[in-house]
Amino acid sequence: MLAQYYRSFKRDLDQRGIIFSFSGYMSEGILFSLGDALRQKMALEDTNVGTVKKVFSVFVEQAQNIIRYSADKVSGDVGKVVELSSGMVTIGTENGHFFIVCANVVLACDEPRLRERLERLQKMDKDEIKAYYKEQLREAPDEHSRGATIGLIEIARRASAPIEFDFDRINDESFFFCMKVSI
Amino acid sequence: MENLKIAATERSPEVDFDFKHGILSLRGESYPEDASAVFGPIFGALEKFLATVGSREIRMDFDLTYFNSSSAKALMNMFQLLDRAAAAGASIKITWFFAPDDDTMKEFGEDFSEDLEHVSFNLVAIETVA
Repeated sequence: MLAQYYRSFKRDLDQRGIIFSFSGYMSEGILFSLGDALRQKMALEDTNVGTVKKVFSVFVEQAQNIIRYSADKVSGDVGKVVELSSGMVTIGTENGHFFIVCANVVLACDEPRLRERLERLQKMDKDEIKAYYKEQLREAPDEHSRGATIGLIEIARRASAPIEFDFDRINDESFFFCMKVSI
Repeated sequence: MENLKIAATERSPEVDFDFKHGILSLRGESYPEDASAVFGPIFGALEKFLATVGSREIRMDFDLTYFNSSSAKALMNMFQLLDRAAAAGASIKITWFFAPDDDTMKEFGEDFSEDLEHVSFNLVAIETVA
């Protein structure tokens, strides 16, 4: 039963083209290790160098967004101060393209601004995204975002199609947010 | 002024600022958790050094293979700082290295250098030695 259960779980992931998927508490250490494994896996398959760089870059920005902005966090002192953020990162291939999906809980009060930023990027073509990136590079960061805007533009810049995103309301205070990027 | 040498870590670049000879370089990858913690001291030392250089010749090499968006902002600040020092009289030569097949890093070099007015800027493709 046990093997059957997890075999079917694994088969479900495989059928969706998933190379790996992480769900749970993220840290910078996990980001580094997953990113390293991702690059090695793509290199072993002779993936084009440019594609490896794009996938890796989107992965890093998404994972760092989870670490910084997930509304589901635990922190405390375990000999040193730690803060872990809950979320999910999934990387796979479909129709000959890589895709990277990230998901995490966001506070309801942060949803309109995030939605507005992503909708703005969705409407832009490649040249507009590039110009927007250059503009933001020269701007002082806005107070609350700790660089979120430029991170999202970096993601949009590496994507081969407009970013897909969605919000699913959990309760009055929060949404489940997810974003899918194709390379 | 004391030279600044910081070894690379898994997620931060190697810093080799030889202030005595005016040869400075940043090499490797940069995607630290907190870009300001990594770049703050580098930027601070560079700023202090540039205030003393007068019309000296300075070489600054960027040999980076990947950096995240918050590191990109810090790098942009360094470029602006170097350009201001060049405007004040220093002779600054910046070289941005990239692997021939790495369009992303080439494009970043172009983005950073776009509004530099006083430094000399070179974009150089080099095969990395495996």
